[in-house]
Amino acid sequence: MSDNNEYLEMFFAESEEYIMVLNDAILKLENNPEDKEVVASLFRAAHSLKGMSATMRFDVLTELTHKIENLMDQVRNNKIDVTTEIIDLLFEGIDYIEEIVKQIKTDGTDNFNLEEYLNKLENKMKQGKEQKVISNEEINYDLDEFESEIISLNEEEKNNIAENKKELDTVYAVNAVLYNGTEFKQVRASMVFKEAKEIGYLFKSVPDIREIEEAKFENNVVKMILISNEPKENIINSLGNITDVVEVNITDIEIELNKNKKTDENKEKNKKNNINKSTSKFEVSSTVRVGIKKLDKLMNMIGELLINKTRLEALNIDSEGFKDILPQLDRVTMELHHTVMQIRMEPIGVMFNRFPRMVRDLSKESQKEIDFIIKGKDTELDRSIIDELGDPLTHLLRNAVDHGIEKPKVRAKKGKDKTGRVELMAYQKGSEIIIEVEDDGAGINIEKLTAKALDKELITQKELEEMDREKKLQLIFEPGLSTTDEVSNVSGRGVGMDVVKRTIKSLDGDIYINSEKEEGTNIIISLPLTLAIQDALMVKIDQEVFAIPLNAISETLKIKSKEIKQVKGNDVIVLRDETIPLIDSRKSLNIEVGDNNYIEREEMSVVIVKSSGKEVGLIVNQLLYQQEIVIKSLSDYLGNVKNISGATIIGDGEVALILDVRDIA
Amino acid sequence: MPEMDGIEAVKKIMAFDSDAKIILCSAMGQQTLVIEAIEACAKDFIVKLFKKDRIKEAIDNIL
Repeated sequence: MSDNNEYLEMFFAESEEYIMVLNDAILKLENNPEDKEVVASLFRAAHSLKGMSATMRFDVLTELTHKIENLMDQVRNNKIDVTTEIIDLLFEGIDYIEEIVKQIKTDGTDNFNLEEYLNKLENKMKQGKEQKVISNEEINYDLDEFESEIISLNEEEKNNIAENKKELDTVYAVNAVLYNGTEFKQVRASMVFKEAKEIGYLFKSVPDIREIEEAKFENNVVKMILISNEPKENIINSLGNITDVVEVNITDIEIELNKNKKTDENKEKNKKNNINKSTSKFEVSSTVRVGIKKLDKLMNMIGELLINKTRLEALNIDSEGFKDILPQLDRVTMELHHTVMQIRMEPIGVMFNRFPRMVRDLSKESQKEIDFIIKGKDTELDRSIIDELGDPLTHLLRNAVDHGIEKPKVRAKKGKDKTGRVELMAYQKGSEIIIEVEDDGAGINIEKLTAKALDKELITQKELEEMDREKKLQLIFEPGLSTTDEVSNVSGRGVGMDVVKRTIKSLDGDIYINSEKEEGTNIIISLPLTLAIQDALMVKIDQEVFAIPLNAISETLKIKSKEIKQVKGNDVIVLRDETIPLIDSRKSLNIEVGDNNYIEREEMSVVIVKSSGKEVGLIVNQLLYQQEIVIKSLSDYLGNVKNISGATIIGDGEVALILDVRDIA
Repeated sequence: MPEMDGIEAVKKIMAFDSDAKIILCSAMGQQTLVIEAIEACAKDFIVKLFKKDRIKEAIDNIL
């Protein structure tokens, strides 16, 4: 049973990949119906899915993918034109595949009533056949020509053959034609190769062995250059005996020895190439799939290792050997950490790829014209973070399409381009990954937003008066706020933005919104590169040691009390012409301050941190040292302590709390 | 199948009798495995679900 589970997991992982490939390819096909390569990739993906589901005995899924594959085959052979109808039909099919896979996940069966859809597909294919009978013949003609064409050789290859062939050898160009309905063409082709190698020396082939391994073999002809001393008839016989080989065409080629003798060095090189060719086998894939749980465990253990290393350092043993070992240990731990982090990284594109389809469907549904741009697909992020980001980004993009972008007529009235623009970007900035969702739609109506916040008693009138524009905008992340009057089935139910913010926060990230009325909205999400281990500055606040993640810190300073100025009754300092508010970290942590006000101290340590999009100065008792910390989350019963994001173990084995400065201002 | 996989079986049979003629029965989606078996000297293969004439053809071809 556990074996079966393993296969099932593989099946799920792979089918998800194929679904993504299919979605992506259909979108491409819609924009570019003539692109044969896209058609081929669609065909391949459907074909592979079919194979997998047949192996797993999911008959309904097998039939569905088989029909889709057939449809793609007709498109490929120009029997059917790619129309909007076909595209919609294909999308519908992919949706069914997704549904079925989901169902297999829940109850292990693929019982699904597809009759109606399959009939639609069948009808479409029948129509296609009737419409394009003439062009069908054209294709056959083309194919015949392709079948009879032999492999061409370049000069270097000709020289190579001429120099290496023995006196009795003949150079043959052999084309083996496979029966049209051949199953497992790749395997048949490899059988042809195997047989050919027994007859003589297989110099070159189209497709070559690697292409076959990668399943890039789509037509019915295996072409070879074969050097052998066997007569033609024998070759035709042996190859023709292979099942599914219906025809063997053979021509001998005269190859003149090129008199312009190459240097000996070149000869050597050619010989080497030869050896490489004759020994090249079907390569084994050099990647493995590993469950994220295993990587989590590995990361945890590295965390433990790191903690112990820090503790070892703190022992400060005075011995030669100890001092040698420590840097070594340090290097190995760091490298280990780095490597595991690398393994966990994946390009964010794997998740972004699902959005073009969604935006397309949404814009069609709401009759809007939208140009959807994705940038920075290659940006890499921890896999576990990527998994969590799907839902929040879905929500933000839906908002952008549903609430942001206006209908073409409205846009025209406003003097905007009829087609709206929604952009999804990812890029790295320092030790953070930034993801932006931007649209050039109507923007957020601040008055409406604040009125609603007042109405729902999320803020008081007094609080509102003290808020600046930026703070008012961030109100959108409060629970229960949604400014649309009408509720559509995609967004506008008032749950969402607060959930988005909560998810991002739980990933130790931050979210921030900017919006100009009539110009559009820009949402910026910042995320840590990795979750588990971070660089931190250790500080003393009151009598306790706290860690502040380095990525939140812009600088540290020492200030004298006379440098502190007052603005509206608040303490500030002026740093390079910027006014920065000061905050007593003890107050933020609810530590009794008593009479011990910082103003009375002569010199103070200040950590300038980025908080809610601006900089504030955090006054601490003492700056200690910088350290790599392993972040441990607080258990549930301690959870959600204000301004504390977790805990870590420091050198002396004590626990230090990690300051969450993002909302401290 | 129990105890060993098809490829191993092909290898063992070939070691026992190098003149053995082996036809593999395979399900869809196992092309790479079949290629491996062919490398290990299986003579031919058929794909499930089989049709009578395909089986006959394969047997005719290797005898």
